[in-house]
Amino acid sequence: MKRFSRRLESSLMRTLRRRRTAYLFAAPAIITLLAITIFPLLYEVRLVFMSWELTTTTTPEFVGLQNLIKVLFQDNRFWSSMRVTAVLIVLGVSIQLGIGTGLALLLNRMGRWRTPLVSLFLIPVMIAPVVAGFQFRMIYHDQFGPLNYIIEIITGGRWRGFAWIADPNVALFAILMTDVWQWTPFLMLIVLAGLQSIPLELHEAAEVDGASAWQSFWRITLPLLLPVIIIGILIRAMDAFKLFDIVYLVTGGGPGNVTETISFYTYLQGFKFFSLGYTAAMAFIQLIIITLIARFFLSFQKRQRGET
Amino acid sequence: MRRMSLWQKIITAAVLIIALILFMFPVVWMFLTSFKTEAEYFSYPPVFIPRDFSPRNYLNAMMLPPDGRGGLQGLRDSLIVALSTTVVSMLTGSLAAYSLSRFRTGGENLSFWILSTRMFPPVAAALPLFLIFKELKLLDTHWALIIANTVFNLPFVIWMLKGFFDDLSPEMEEAALIDGCTHWGVFVRVALPLITPGLVATALFCFIFAWNEFMFALLLTRRSVRTLTVIVPSLVGGHEILWGEIAAIGTIAIIPGIVLSVLFQRFLVRGLTMGAVKG
Repeated sequence: MKRFSRRLESSLMRTLRRRRTAYLFAAPAIITLLAITIFPLLYEVRLVFMSWELTTTTTPEFVGLQNLIKVLFQDNRFWSSMRVTAVLIVLGVSIQLGIGTGLALLLNRMGRWRTPLVSLFLIPVMIAPVVAGFQFRMIYHDQFGPLNYIIEIITGGRWRGFAWIADPNVALFAILMTDVWQWTPFLMLIVLAGLQSIPLELHEAAEVDGASAWQSFWRITLPLLLPVIIIGILIRAMDAFKLFDIVYLVTGGGPGNVTETISFYTYLQGFKFFSLGYTAAMAFIQLIIITLIARFFLSFQKRQRGET
Repeated sequence: MRRMSLWQKIITAAVLIIALILFMFPVVWMFLTSFKTEAEYFSYPPVFIPRDFSPRNYLNAMMLPPDGRGGLQGLRDSLIVALSTTVVSMLTGSLAAYSLSRFRTGGENLSFWILSTRMFPPVAAALPLFLIFKELKLLDTHWALIIANTVFNLPFVIWMLKGFFDDLSPEMEEAALIDGCTHWGVFVRVALPLITPGLVATALFCFIFAWNEFMFALLLTRRSVRTLTVIVPSLVGGHEILWGEIAAIGTIAIIPGIVLSVLFQRFLVRGLTMGAVKG
């Protein structure tokens, strides 16, 4: 009996010690993360209900829901920036997915060349978006840029291209192309990873059963790729929702505000017009939207894990 | 896999080569511009290959105003911020990742809360951080950027390393525990060495995220701290755009990214998807 109780005690001690170690290990990171996310979040939520115009008043004043109402129902510029962002997400991600999948299918057939090729293709992803924006600003230059020069050569001098950045009809397209350039390789990479995880036997079996390459792609490859593609789309959608750097560099939101994304408009309200309460209200709305997408992403990932 | 006919091979190769040229062009153009003289980059038709490859733009870029240090200051500040962020995130993050992976601390909810902090839109965080740092007199210091970058890099490190620890089979660690090793000893002497390649790749990712970061650097610092990413647009906005000098700074700024993509390709899928897809 005595021996038993001693054993129980020691096992209890071990569990306790294990617990303590677990929390001690996790504590520094959790405390850091809490400290640097909770305070800004609380501060922001408080600001949502304040009117605080740094240009005219110095003290914040409680205004209730006024900021949120103004953003949602009276601000055309807010909705215009939401529309720009939506266009960039929907068009951008579809184009990136289309080209990315195509490239991945081709690369998947390359033997020893695949690794070096993938490394080269991925360089755009690893570059600072600011630097990517600068590169395209040079390329789009209406007088000295190589893009208009190449257009002129191809059309035999009949057409000298666009003023890419200053023309309101094409400026958004200029932003879109920059984003597509930078992120297509990302989708290519993850589709390629998905392709390589599909066992070869499946395709061989389909071939034996007389399936054409086309059928085998639609019936085997695509369904198996779907989870990876959905994750890719969600990650890209969250990133594209925050698009700022490229806009800042290439067009500055202009001409007018045809390329103004929601992140860029929020930046202007906060750091150019200094309407702090109003900015917080806009930030709050974005936080809700991103949380919804993130929830979707996380629950999808949880389900994936449950299956494997 | 189906056998490709010769024609299929030729078409595959041709499409890939064309795509590669398109994707490499902006980078190559910037690289070439970094060696051009003003007469060369302001000319029509554009000059593709500069006459000589003298490093004058690089030297000029380093000496740019303000304080006649421009690029040098940028290089110093970018390095300080990126390195410090990486060290802080890796030190605290690796411990937390081990705890989450081995002891399932806090269960799935804690893990997913950590992941979700990374998805915060930076523009939503910028304003409260600005006001708080203003109170704490931290604006325009390296600390401001290190703290702001840690918000996004710490979750990344925890989630990535958790994935690597999950992949280890626990037998070695259990054996070490039975031999009388403490948890700390097991962590430092058994677990960490086993995931060294993953550690290095994660640290490099972390470094690059902080190195490439722009919005916080733009909003939270002004004069005494200027990273490379804020120097680039500040020069573009000027009266006469110094294409050559900016291209030189841009070329320096993309080196870490290229190193990562070439040396650590097998970790890229994981790094870019936060471990959601395992390459």
